[in-house]
Amino acid sequence: MLSTTESDQCCSLNIFNSVVCLYLYLIFQNIRKIDGGNGPARFRVMMSDGLHTLSSFMLSTQLNCMAEDNRLAPNCVCILKRHVTNILKDGRRVVIILEIDVIKPASEVAGKIGDPTPYTEGKPSKHTGFSRDFGKKAPSAMPSTPGKSSKVVPIASLNPYQSKWTIRARVTNKSNIRTWSNSRGDGKLFSMEMVDESGEIRATGFNQEVDKFYSLIEVGKVYYISKCSLKIANKQYTSVKNDYEMTLNGESTVIPCEDSCDVPMVQCSFVPIAELENKEKDAVIDVIGVCKSVEEVTRLTTKSSREVSKRTLNLMDMSGKVVTVTLWGEEAEKFDGSGQPIVAIKGAKLSDFGGRSLSASFSSTLMINPDIPEAYKLRETQMKSCVLPLCQLIGILFILYRYDKEGHTMDGQSLTELKGGSGGGNTNWKSLSDVKNEHLGHGDKADYYTCIATIVYLRKENCLYQACPSQDCNKKVIDQQNGMFRCEKCDKEFPNFKYRLILSANIADHGDNQWVTCFQESAEAILGQNAAYLGQLKDSNETAYDEIFQQANFNTFIFRNRVKLETYNDESRIKATVLDVKPVDHKDYIQRLIVNIRKLAA
Amino acid sequence: MAGILDVPKPRINCSMLSQHINKPVCFVGRVEKVHPTGKMFTVSDGEGNMATVELNDPLEEELSGVVEVIGMVSNKGGIMATAYNMFREDKGTLFDLKLYNEALKVIHDFPQHYPFEVASSS
Repeated sequence: MLSTTESDQCCSLNIFNSVVCLYLYLIFQNIRKIDGGNGPARFRVMMSDGLHTLSSFMLSTQLNCMAEDNRLAPNCVCILKRHVTNILKDGRRVVIILEIDVIKPASEVAGKIGDPTPYTEGKPSKHTGFSRDFGKKAPSAMPSTPGKSSKVVPIASLNPYQSKWTIRARVTNKSNIRTWSNSRGDGKLFSMEMVDESGEIRATGFNQEVDKFYSLIEVGKVYYISKCSLKIANKQYTSVKNDYEMTLNGESTVIPCEDSCDVPMVQCSFVPIAELENKEKDAVIDVIGVCKSVEEVTRLTTKSSREVSKRTLNLMDMSGKVVTVTLWGEEAEKFDGSGQPIVAIKGAKLSDFGGRSLSASFSSTLMINPDIPEAYKLRETQMKSCVLPLCQLIGILFILYRYDKEGHTMDGQSLTELKGGSGGGNTNWKSLSDVKNEHLGHGDKADYYTCIATIVYLRKENCLYQACPSQDCNKKVIDQQNGMFRCEKCDKEFPNFKYRLILSANIADHGDNQWVTCFQESAEAILGQNAAYLGQLKDSNETAYDEIFQQANFNTFIFRNRVKLETYNDESRIKATVLDVKPVDHKDYIQRLIVNIRKLAA
Repeated sequence: MAGILDVPKPRINCSMLSQHINKPVCFVGRVEKVHPTGKMFTVSDGEGNMATVELNDPLEEELSGVVEVIGMVSNKGGIMATAYNMFREDKGTLFDLKLYNEALKVIHDFPQHYPFEVASSS
């Protein structure tokens, strides 16, 4: 370890001459907290390379936790992974530590390493010649500023204590010009948000700077920006994650940067939709989800009698929860929800309207199918809903043939009389979790969907009732206890009745389960027996009757269901009724899953 | 080394044989020609490509239709079978090799979703 340290010593002291991200081994000496104003605490650090010590290191604020957790203890050996050098107004230089790892904690180091003396800049040393050369040769990893001497630094390293810096950042959002007028006069301002690989920051320009920069700056483009004033950020107005924000001033420069592909597009920290209910109302958050459904654009008039377009859409994310998002103005008009795009919104405002909903305000950024890892993850999750059943189906395919070979009958073959393919091209295929997440049945009209699901429970209690024996009347009859049965509907008494089925079943697929009601035909199809026989068995042979329900468990069918929200005694619940039960056409199902997988991956 | 029946065997088609040399695999195909010695036969996959299957012992039954073969891929790209299983087609249901091949390609195109690890022979 130390030998490495020694071999690197010439480099480490030459840290000032280069902004190259060399991995430097350093020995931590001590740390001092600097109290400065009302901003976050800053830590000044002294490091040694075994020969010299240098006290002009500062921890970037995002590493403050390392100091606060005492992870940096005297004599621990560190590896400096990323840093920038700032030159103060008086010419002194400060190294801001952006990324540092402790590779050997102090407890494992036998006391002080070497006998380092304070390093003085420009002091001749035997390594001088070499280090100068090194400094010149080392190519800058960051592109240098056009015609400027100050170095390009990451946004994360910006702080109010430095003056000469340039950032290379992509503008992710730009506000409209807003004006104010009060007793002290009037003026105008705009703000913008910028991002680079290290972080993001907000900038505001007033009056002259509005005239100078507003038209120059385009959202999505990359600029070299320098000489702005930095101050503590006012978090009330922004979701930008930076302790500081900048103000454009008379000295500020904004120069477009052509070679910009390596600068990230936008930085988001997405909040899972399931966690929205734990967030405060009016919080500004970032969200990403699949656009499951979208409503038509509507126009409404605001209090200030301005007409504005509005559109709502439903986003679902990996947490499986759905949230309603409102878009306004041009974005509402232009939005195309076809093909279930991935929608990301940076800086959406949370409201408690209708539980929890989101509003994309003027300062939000809307991204459709953004090129970011979270979007790919979402697509992948969506895909899993197809992949999982396919996986099982390939298994089923084999099981079927094995069964066949041993002379067993195929699953559900008793239902072949109900065949007729698995529905036309307009079949509304849904998974059971889709049905819940998309709130099917909550509208004015009932919704219909088709799903592939497995019976997991059948409630055999009260599944048979005594019905009127007339041809088209299925009304429940009243047992007159004298051998006669009365039908209120037909207003007649009969000496007999017919059994009919009304069966409650719990069906499940890979993502969810659902209670459904099956009437006569669908219940007969599931149980594989007709109602009359079941009724007879119920009265004569309870064991055989129970056996039929046992056998019917865990069979898989194609269900066509109707869902509607129904209210009894002030209690609303979704009622699902099975309209049709068919055996699964496995080939057809596999084909559909493969098509879906390919479509999702495209 | 664990027996071939105890280790994971990726399902492959002919085009994937060359990437699985000296590895245990599972191959499903249609029997095309059985060698007169009964120790070798050819199979076609869902894409119509041919592979050769070699057996340790001569066949004791007539082989036809679709078979699932478990074995090691030889250096020459043949399959040294350890076990085979015939899918009889006389019950009326035909094994859809083309569909099987499509499903197989999905498994290989999205290994992140089908993390069936290939055991390295020790």
